[in-house]
Amino acid sequence: MHDIRVPTEDVLKHQLELAARNYEQLRKRGIRAVNVMGAIGSGKTLLILRMAERLKEKGLRVGAIAGDVAGDDDYRKFISAGLVAANLSTGDDCHLDAHRVGHALETFPLAEADVLFIENVGNLVCPADFPLGTEADLVVISVTEGDDMVRKHPKIFAQTDVLAVNKVDLASFVGVDPGQLVADYRRLNPHGRAVLTDAKSGRGVDDLLSSLGL
Amino acid sequence: MHEYSLSQALLDGLTEHLQAHPVEGRVRAIHVRKGELLVLSEEALAEAWRILTEGTAVAGSELRIEKVPVKVRCPECGYAGPVEYATEEGWHFVVPILACPRCEGKAEVIAGRDLAIVGLAVDEPNHTSADPGSPSLPAP
Repeated sequence: MHDIRVPTEDVLKHQLELAARNYEQLRKRGIRAVNVMGAIGSGKTLLILRMAERLKEKGLRVGAIAGDVAGDDDYRKFISAGLVAANLSTGDDCHLDAHRVGHALETFPLAEADVLFIENVGNLVCPADFPLGTEADLVVISVTEGDDMVRKHPKIFAQTDVLAVNKVDLASFVGVDPGQLVADYRRLNPHGRAVLTDAKSGRGVDDLLSSLGL
Repeated sequence: MHEYSLSQALLDGLTEHLQAHPVEGRVRAIHVRKGELLVLSEEALAEAWRILTEGTAVAGSELRIEKVPVKVRCPECGYAGPVEYATEEGWHFVVPILACPRCEGKAEVIAGRDLAIVGLAVDEPNHTSADPGSPSLPAP
């Protein structure tokens, strides 16, 4: 038995290069892009729609890419709200990646958007390993998921710029302390910004936009 | 859930390397470095490797995974090195804290997100024993 060094390339390097390419493409067009992650049902789509309303009031044009395993439900919601949108079905894949997003950007009417929300597939695991090339990463938790969500999925929260604890109006009904989620997030991510939101009523949406620098 | 696609990417890279730099003797083990920030199940990676390598030159090889600790670089104070971890009771994992451990500034991750094959343990070319033994691995 003998040992041989095999200096093969980092298999995730290609994804990082593609993410850097997406970042550059968006930056040179002056588009502020946000990767919106979170579990299924956390409220990502409605939060994007609420943020889009506020941004439109400021005179900004908003685009959205709806990432989903299948179907065009979220895409149709974005279109109905007057957003420039594209549908990105992964066909059973559990996350978006820079390669797929890069292809979506090829046909997206980028000249018609100042801000672009990329809604990832509902999942708190896999998207952590696949940066898309966005300027900011946002993770949405609904209080209905429980106050141990940050502890159960620490790696995604450790690497995310902003946390939105959503559906806070339901916290007392489900016996969840949003403060626990925020405290856990701050422990892991001292530079992350946490915001309490209720997308349905619009509470916290302005704070969320400020946290994202929008 | 992306263990199969990444195992396939590892296999593709290794196959390409072995075509350019063939080895004599049976490949017993594959030494993989895996960044600790990656959300990858080592069991699932090993199982994916077993299935994907069937019928290839590295069929039957064992994946030996070495975890690569996170390292950061701090643009504020110039620190470069390992990070602190959240280890207090209540955390289900030992979690790296991605801030500068010296000045608490916002730090850039410089290691801990990589996944690559770095070495092989190979039988001597004339090895005929049916017992694969315990292959040793190259130092990282």
